[in-house]
Amino acid sequence: MTNIVASIRRELHALWRSPWQLALVSYIPILSILCLWWLFSAGLPRQLPVAIVDHDNSQLSRMLSRKLAANPVISPQSFVDLPSAVTAMKQGEVYGLIVFPYNLKRDLVTGHSPTIDIRYNSQFLLVGKLLSSQIQLTLGTGLLEVAEMKLLLQGVPKPLVAVHLSPVTSQTTALFNRNNNYVGFLVPPVLVALWQLLAMLIFSNSLSRELTSTGSLIAGDGIWLRVWAKIAVFTPILLMHGGFILALLYQYLALPAAGSLALLVLAQTVMLFAVWLLVLLIFFIMRDSARMVSFGTAMFAPAFAFMGITFPVHEMPVVAQWWRLIMPSSHYIDSHVSIISYGSSWQTIAVQLSSYWGFLFIIPVLIIVSRRVELEPMAQMPLKGEPGVKG
Amino acid sequence: MNNQLMSFWQLVWTELRAIVADKAIAVTLFGGVLFYSVLYPLPYLHQVPTDQQIVVVDLDHSSLSRKLIRQADASPKISVIGQVGSISEAKVWIETGRAHGLLVIPYAFRRDLLLGKGVTLSYGGDASYFLIYSAVVEGLVTVGMDAGKQVQLLGLLAKGEAPEQADLSLNSVKINSVPAFNPSLGYTPYVVPGLFLLILHQTLLIGTGILGAGQWRNKGYWQQLSPLKLICGRICAFMLIYTVFTSFYVGFCFYWYQVSIQASLGLVALFLLPFLLATSAAGIALSCLFVRRDLPTQVLLLASMPIMFVSGFVWPLTLIPEPLIWISQVIPAVPAIMGMLELNQMGASWTSIMPKWLQLWGMFAVFFVLAVYGVSRRLKAKTSLVP
Repeated sequence: MTNIVASIRRELHALWRSPWQLALVSYIPILSILCLWWLFSAGLPRQLPVAIVDHDNSQLSRMLSRKLAANPVISPQSFVDLPSAVTAMKQGEVYGLIVFPYNLKRDLVTGHSPTIDIRYNSQFLLVGKLLSSQIQLTLGTGLLEVAEMKLLLQGVPKPLVAVHLSPVTSQTTALFNRNNNYVGFLVPPVLVALWQLLAMLIFSNSLSRELTSTGSLIAGDGIWLRVWAKIAVFTPILLMHGGFILALLYQYLALPAAGSLALLVLAQTVMLFAVWLLVLLIFFIMRDSARMVSFGTAMFAPAFAFMGITFPVHEMPVVAQWWRLIMPSSHYIDSHVSIISYGSSWQTIAVQLSSYWGFLFIIPVLIIVSRRVELEPMAQMPLKGEPGVKG
Repeated sequence: MNNQLMSFWQLVWTELRAIVADKAIAVTLFGGVLFYSVLYPLPYLHQVPTDQQIVVVDLDHSSLSRKLIRQADASPKISVIGQVGSISEAKVWIETGRAHGLLVIPYAFRRDLLLGKGVTLSYGGDASYFLIYSAVVEGLVTVGMDAGKQVQLLGLLAKGEAPEQADLSLNSVKINSVPAFNPSLGYTPYVVPGLFLLILHQTLLIGTGILGAGQWRNKGYWQQLSPLKLICGRICAFMLIYTVFTSFYVGFCFYWYQVSIQASLGLVALFLLPFLLATSAAGIALSCLFVRRDLPTQVLLLASMPIMFVSGFVWPLTLIPEPLIWISQVIPAVPAIMGMLELNQMGASWTSIMPKWLQLWGMFAVFFVLAVYGVSRRLKAKTSLVP
């Protein structure tokens, strides 16, 4: 018991003396979390520039332009000719292009069927898809008014006009994220990916402090005692960061959360232990600080893409779905969504947490490979904490 | 080896050998670039989400409601996986992940339509996943609109209108909405062009960073050279390696991942030249800040995600707070990614991306001066330590 307390004290001391580790547990996470949130803080895409080329200049085309301006997503920019609008589109100054053809109104009135051309920038997929649906929606509503006038002129009684125009109306509901807020959609997985990177870096830095330059262990306590001390120190610290993320999103920004945040903290704890296991495995195999970080980076950097929030999991190729299971963050994000969106109870979460079972196989492997690590001979024992701690 | 004896090309050769011999650098550069070219686009290979599972709550049980369900199932974006009796049951299906959306057909759907009353169809999609949500809603809205049109057409025909006339009065204005630049709306053409430039940028910075950080406190060929010559040789060595990597990424990978390409080879090469130069100079300047070999990777790893999102190919630049955009202008990847997207993916003319190109040359000049300053300080500190 006194051993572990002494080890923890040594760990805290080492943390205090390493400026980089101290930065990693203090201001770097706070700054990066706030910075990433600020980036997305607009939340709802608004006032996206769209070029309008009006060749008709009729009452109808101006009415449609006004309808477009009234849509909060669209900010219409008038262009006199098509080539200049195309250039603006190619330079990314506008994200969409609407052309009202010459004689739009005349063709409509005389029973021809004119065509309104829309181009939207699908290179920026997120913006493009949104604009495509919003422009069509707005133009559709605008044209409906014209049709309404026409029906009234034909002598259809007023109460029947609406039914004539659209006998089937639709009501679309965005479940769980009512206003399609990008902060609620994108920021949690981004921050979880960042948090996982921080956990990986902090733990591997702390582990590589135990190595000599030749890759054997610095003399002292048994390796497992030191590992337990590190877990005891860094789990609460990382949980504080995780708690900061949750507090920022669901308390300060008051994003809707259907379930209990305490369950999320539990899910975070389990995720941290999975990260610890992976980092320990890398540590025992690599036994070199620069290579450990390189390998950890290669593994964990793409974690965000594999979470399945931006691109659905069941649409990924099978290999990607397997790789996804190696990332602790993908297991966590499933629980995150089901707690925040669906308000799942602890029974559901317990079932979800059991998906980590594969990580248990790391434990026997760790025990086997840890035997290979040699303790440095006592004769060469350096001053405590000397190598590698310099910041 | 004497300073006079070591020619410039010998220096470049020595640098190349030092890069390859260093395991950490070699793993990052050769392993990282190859590994990421496969791993990053891997989740997106199927490009477009199709056949999203939805559950139907049919409260009408009429011939028309069954027809509607069949039509919904026929939509490529949707697959109807089952019917349940109530909305609360559908909710359970969605919460357990069996379905991602629901369609509610109201009671007396067919009767009301025949009587000429309006009816409302309700759609819902799981907006925790936006791509799934948009696929479900687009699919269902199209189905609903078609159903409405058919009912209207039947009504008009029953009133004795000619089929052509009826068709015209239903589709009085054609809306021709076409995606530009990424015609398939695929996910890899969206992510790959920006992401791959970022990977090149980050690995190049890490490579130069580790190489520098490992040298400053040790003895070697780098001390016998003038800082200017060392930097020129190092930039030249990294440029040789990265010309190959960039050709592989922008040439082969873009083709492999079906990225649309608009610019000519000459223009792309001309645009990427200052990008690679500025990035190598920035890497060398940055390396002067480190003496621990494991630090550059960590710092740049943490910076990757902010750089990716601030460069504007995922989240539109118009929505990013201005101060963040100003700060980000000192990162070579930011103007490079936007400029390349405009030039190569969106077909902008050279004159319109010229400011970004000049900005990259400016960055190269600034970072080069910083690198000369930093390296000469590092080398001086060392020589004063070891007489």
